[in-house]
Amino acid sequence: MSEFVRGRLVPLLVLLVVFALVPYGLAKFGKGYFFQVAQLVLIYALLAVSLHLVTGAAGLLHLGHAAFYGVGAYVAALLGTEMKLGFLWGLPAAGLAAAALAFVVALPTMRLVSIYFAVATLAIGQMIHTVLLNWVAVTKGPNGVMLFSGITLFGTPVKSPIAIYFLVAGLVALSIWVLHRLSHSYYGNALRSLREDDQCADAMGVDTVRLKIEVFTVSAFFAGIAGALWAYTTGYVSPGDFGFNTSILVLAMIVVGGLGSLPGAIIGAALLILLPEVLRGVGDLRNVMVGIVMFVSILFLPRGLLGEVSALSLVRRGFGLKWGAAPSDREVGWR
Amino acid sequence: MTLTRRHLVALALAAPAAFALPAAAAETVKLGYQLPLTGNTAQYGQDFKTAAEIALARFNASGRIPAKVEIVFEDSRSDAKEGVTIARKFVDDEKIVGVLGDFTSGVSMAAAQVYKEAGMPQLSQTASHPDYTKISEWQFRNITTQAGEGPYNADWMVAKGYKKVAVIAEQTDWGQSVTKYFADEIAAKGGKVVLTEYFNRGLPDFRSLLTKIQREKPDAIYTGFFYEDAANFLKQMKQLGIAIPVYSTSAAHNQKVIELAGADAEGLSLTTNFLPNSPKPEVKEFVAEWVKVRGAEPGQFPAQAFDAVNIMLEAVVKTYPKSTRAAIRDALAATKDFPGVTGSTTFGADREPVKQLSKVRIVGGVFTPVAD
Repeated sequence: MSEFVRGRLVPLLVLLVVFALVPYGLAKFGKGYFFQVAQLVLIYALLAVSLHLVTGAAGLLHLGHAAFYGVGAYVAALLGTEMKLGFLWGLPAAGLAAAALAFVVALPTMRLVSIYFAVATLAIGQMIHTVLLNWVAVTKGPNGVMLFSGITLFGTPVKSPIAIYFLVAGLVALSIWVLHRLSHSYYGNALRSLREDDQCADAMGVDTVRLKIEVFTVSAFFAGIAGALWAYTTGYVSPGDFGFNTSILVLAMIVVGGLGSLPGAIIGAALLILLPEVLRGVGDLRNVMVGIVMFVSILFLPRGLLGEVSALSLVRRGFGLKWGAAPSDREVGWR
Repeated sequence: MTLTRRHLVALALAAPAAFALPAAAAETVKLGYQLPLTGNTAQYGQDFKTAAEIALARFNASGRIPAKVEIVFEDSRSDAKEGVTIARKFVDDEKIVGVLGDFTSGVSMAAAQVYKEAGMPQLSQTASHPDYTKISEWQFRNITTQAGEGPYNADWMVAKGYKKVAVIAEQTDWGQSVTKYFADEIAAKGGKVVLTEYFNRGLPDFRSLLTKIQREKPDAIYTGFFYEDAANFLKQMKQLGIAIPVYSTSAAHNQKVIELAGADAEGLSLTTNFLPNSPKPEVKEFVAEWVKVRGAEPGQFPAQAFDAVNIMLEAVVKTYPKSTRAAIRDALAATKDFPGVTGSTTFGADREPVKQLSKVRIVGGVFTPVAD
């Protein structure tokens, strides 16, 4: 029983922080800046967790994640401006469009392994970015898309910063919960088996190609959702926000946080968004300091701030005995 | 628990930053300046910072108002998410009454959504996107858009008898406006654009583009690029032995073109509103100060930034001691015949600057004013 409580305690505390403590603090000090930073952390946490599923759990090095984030942002923004379809349409459409595109590009790529897969996703990311930049007739090219209509839910405009924060936090929490259930289940174990030895998994009857296509598509869906949230909270999207740099930033988040660890992805996102903001006072050297922190954390904590093994045992406790508690903490995960 | 030690490492690394935050000075008028001080476009941001520091030092020494003005510089890295965050930060600081920047249109426009909502005057020295000033009554800019420069260049080229023109521009919102306004005017004057091509900024090899241009046999080439691309383009053009006159915009008006391309830059014609060798006293003073800090003559963009800061400071003077955000906005909108280093500036009702353009050509390694 105490195991159960301990396991439930962490997620409860996180929810308490996200839905009570942070908004209370934000409302009390009432500063738009902190709202903005909090929203960015949430959006990037979703991006990092969605990448965690592909790269962390399934072990496929994905270098084009930002492109699907961009597709989501553009779909939401263009539906909002050109078709006058609001947030309620734009949000699922963004996710579905990103997922549909991911599905199409996944069909030929998912037979590739290791470095070849990484290069293929790099190319996909660059192609999508180039299309966003150069397909002027549809995406407005480098001019970007301005989204004037704010968020409206069932006819009620959501305008105050705190309401927008709750909306973003709620959607991100829901998405992360779905990704958590996918990642920490027999499905997630199948993904990990792909990562550890895909030929062995294949021999054991796991349909590896299908699994890869599924996980790639699901991950892109949530990247698209993150994109829609970015488009609606910022009001302006341009291709520059969805380039290779952003893909690498998200990748760095999950590596620093701990490859294969879902809580690690969230911690990594929070760290890499908050750190540059905290260091603003340092001036031009802040990027160097962020680099040093990343370097040091990789050097001393190669498994990340919250590595996969500790993350998994944390989650196992949450599930009680329902989900294969290991007899001992056997060494699995990224080494 | 393993978490503790890990957190301690992160905290220990983050702690010195907390103490480095600058303390706010009392009794000062504060302005914000968001610009890329690091990242891919840092060279421009660093130029703006120098220009702003020169303008600010001169202003604070003049004693025109009994208080000091302070500019808070924030690094946006030309990244929209940083730009928006900075915008929120500036808006939160009640002492900040006006904002300068950002550098690129993309970041300026993302930040503009925040300024529009909060009611903060924003004056960008370089945002040239056609829709930037249309965002709200709070957006101003101190750069002539291609709506003015394109037709001016087209008329110039038609007057020289160049009717068949190839147009190339970088693939940015600005590049798009370069080709559009130029093409409209040259068609109206009986000329013809025989080729329009876009390239990505920082393209190392222009040879295939140059071959394409050569095939069309144009009378002249009109270009929308910045100094790095300008230098590369001109060098490779000479290497291929192509001798077609090249025209460009004020964006290429930078001493670095001559430094990087050397003799190959000879003959490049462009429009500008800043002449570093002008005899006007305000220009002489700015150029002398700039040379003292940087050791070389300033180009077009630092001059625009210098004027933008001065226009903002002028608005502070006009409204002091009641310099609120709304008052500064109204004062900016009322700017008329401001004598800057980029010529006299008036803001139209659309918050666009109206400026006089001049013709310049590189002759003997110097930007030389020319009549035709």
